[in-house]
Amino acid sequence: MDKVLAMILAGGRVDELSVLTFFRPKSAVPFGGLYRVIDFAMSNLMHSGIERAGVLSQYRPYSLINHLDAGAPWDMVGRKRGVFILPPFKGLQASDWYKGTADAVYQNLDFIDRFDPELVLILSGDHIYRMDYRPLLDFHRRHRADLTVAFTEIRDFTGAHRFGQGEIEDLETHGGPLVSYIEKPQELIYPWASLTIYVFRRPVLEEVLEANAQENSHEFGRDIIPKMLGIYRVFGYKHRGYWGYSRTIEEFWQTNMDLLGPIPKIDLCAWQVRTNLAHRAVRDRQPTVIGARARIENTLFYNGSEILGEVKDSILFPGVKVAEGAIVRNSVLFYDTVVEKGAYLEKTITDAGVIIEAGACLGQGAGPDGPVTVVGRQSRVASGVRIEPGVTIYPHLSPEAFSRKSYGSGEVIQ
Amino acid sequence: MRDVIAVLLAGGVGSRLNILVRHRAKPAVPFGGIYRIIDFTLSNVANSGLAQVAVLTQYKPLSLMDHIGDGSAWDFIGRSRSVKILPPKTGEKDWDWYRGTADAVRQNLEFITARYSKNVLILSGDHVYYMNYADMIRFHRDKKAQVTIAMMKVPWELTDQFGIGIVDEGGRIVDWEEKPAKARSNLASMGIYVFDTDYLVRTLKEVGGDDFGMHIIPRALNEARVYAFPFTGYWRDVGTVQAYWEANLDLLRPSSDLTPEAWQIYTNLEAEGLTYDRPPVQIFPGAQVIKSAISPACIIHGRVENSILSPGVFVGKGAVVRDSVVMHDTRIESEAIVERTIIDKEVVIGAGAVVGQGDRTKANRDWPKHLYSGLTLVGKWAIVPPGARIGTNCIVYPRVDLSHYGQQKILPDGETLKV
Repeated sequence: MDKVLAMILAGGRVDELSVLTFFRPKSAVPFGGLYRVIDFAMSNLMHSGIERAGVLSQYRPYSLINHLDAGAPWDMVGRKRGVFILPPFKGLQASDWYKGTADAVYQNLDFIDRFDPELVLILSGDHIYRMDYRPLLDFHRRHRADLTVAFTEIRDFTGAHRFGQGEIEDLETHGGPLVSYIEKPQELIYPWASLTIYVFRRPVLEEVLEANAQENSHEFGRDIIPKMLGIYRVFGYKHRGYWGYSRTIEEFWQTNMDLLGPIPKIDLCAWQVRTNLAHRAVRDRQPTVIGARARIENTLFYNGSEILGEVKDSILFPGVKVAEGAIVRNSVLFYDTVVEKGAYLEKTITDAGVIIEAGACLGQGAGPDGPVTVVGRQSRVASGVRIEPGVTIYPHLSPEAFSRKSYGSGEVIQ
Repeated sequence: MRDVIAVLLAGGVGSRLNILVRHRAKPAVPFGGIYRIIDFTLSNVANSGLAQVAVLTQYKPLSLMDHIGDGSAWDFIGRSRSVKILPPKTGEKDWDWYRGTADAVRQNLEFITARYSKNVLILSGDHVYYMNYADMIRFHRDKKAQVTIAMMKVPWELTDQFGIGIVDEGGRIVDWEEKPAKARSNLASMGIYVFDTDYLVRTLKEVGGDDFGMHIIPRALNEARVYAFPFTGYWRDVGTVQAYWEANLDLLRPSSDLTPEAWQIYTNLEAEGLTYDRPPVQIFPGAQVIKSAISPACIIHGRVENSILSPGVFVGKGAVVRDSVVMHDTRIESEAIVERTIIDKEVVIGAGAVVGQGDRTKANRDWPKHLYSGLTLVGKWAIVPPGARIGTNCIVYPRVDLSHYGQQKILPDGETLKV
């Protein structure tokens, strides 16, 4: 695998995740009670034996740099191993932020050069999935492809317009030549969605990026793939298995909920995910203590929490405190969230360090289909206030910021 | 604190812990879900700002050495920060095990003389407590002492198990009784000593005697300034099954003052050698968990009550775990009942088996002093077959499998099942 270099696109902010990405890129958003979103791609690389990666990051990279720790959590530190964060830089002529996914890779062609890889595996750091990249790379080599794009079958047609869609000739079980490709069409045209996982033969990557650099738009999906069809050997690889999106708050919530239930869709034991346990001192927290009058069901939690109240169908990150008489349902509570006595949370995501004061009520009546309520980092939701489902609360608010007794659906409190 | 060397005596057999120390030394016994006993002392050393540490091992050191690793879990890593594991070496004779605490330090005197230090801090890795040794070292220097001993008041009925000091108003120890039948004071030694390096080296070189409490301290009283550093707070010698069980359950009592996270106790999670990090705890629909401490990767379908679960424990549907301490990766299958039992790692309790119920007054026949209050021990890798009945005050040996059980699969109260 030392002929493969991975390039991870991890810099995007993605506005839809609203307050959760105010201080971190989407790839560093906490997920599943312990992890960051990028852990899934990193663990996939590790289990696939690909131990050299460049991480393209330009939006608030501190959290990500801290988390990746040069690759140490995934055993990628060593003479032939390493994870390198590649922020945008001032060039000789142009000083520029990455103008798109293709431009980000283009600006780092010299980095790729240094490793002299046969293949470049381009991934995005924002998806929750388990994939062994080796069969994909084998497929690519077997067909002597210049570019292979990985796809998943679209089952839920409502979101189809958000993906690149491909038509794949069925040459074998894993797919075949990519016949046509359309980036984010208005409706469902082909039932296979791009996973934004690309394998390039290196000379071809250099060639198409050099050509693209002269143009005005620099995205792999929109600009590179369509232009390569019919000119290069472009293949589509069909990936089968769970695929979790986190592009919108609703998707992010749903993907978290996929960890729950009698038979969870995401089987963490089988997936063998690694994370950085030093980040937020996760490793130094004691086992979670559950109180004598607690009720807890269908829930995930890690170390350092204290659960004295009622928690159902929820995900708790380390250090969460749920006081006696508090109720938490269908919610995702990030690090060190405190839910005080008598508070009620339903279908709510709270960022790190949020305090829900006694008797506050968020998202009541949302049910499984109502909108998600989101509370930004370290905000303190005032005692007794009533927040309807679907309200967005900005970070760092003090209780005084809640001037009214109640807030209706869709409101943004800042 | 860069001029202090810490020497941690981690060789203790801890035989009263019975089968829990069959495969490991006492300091390596798991405690409180995710910790090992030695984590408390090692973390105290780290948090006191000491950075030169020697760990003296002797008895079954493998799991201890794995656990300490390169010391990075406690931040003992850097140009002048390290933890060195010192195994016993053969001396003049073919077989030269340590004969006592002082002998262990004497045999490793080179470690101390090979580097500069003003003081040597001598610790044992057997206790659960929080202490800032920097305070004790400052006290030692303020008093211009040659020897300082950390001491705490213990119940009078326990004084015969400790070294007992009689002190004057200034804190200076004027008399010493090692495990006295009738004590004149209840101020007991915790086995934590600060020595002036010069004094320690000279004494160990010139004087015989293998034990600090028995030989070195009584002598020091006559020729040096020996002070008692008073300690108050949570401190447990978890050297008996009973004390071990009680201290574990202290985690569940907010009033117990056992708060490892607040004490900044670190452990080494890498030592398990897993290729992944243990995932969060999964509490399934229909499960019930109350008054318990639960570690990562536990999977719970049944009922858990007043218990401490280490990482990776599985509790099946309809199973009940009550008043118990369950270590890593043990499986308690559906409808099984476990009560007042300490279960070591990677045990399987078969479906419908009942463990730990019976007549608590019937002490264990082989070890009546180890098991007498209605506790049961199940050793590492043991198997309790489906439907089996294991009474109370029982011991199931490590690696017991189906072939060791009779047809009835019953182990009566107070009995031991060996391999």
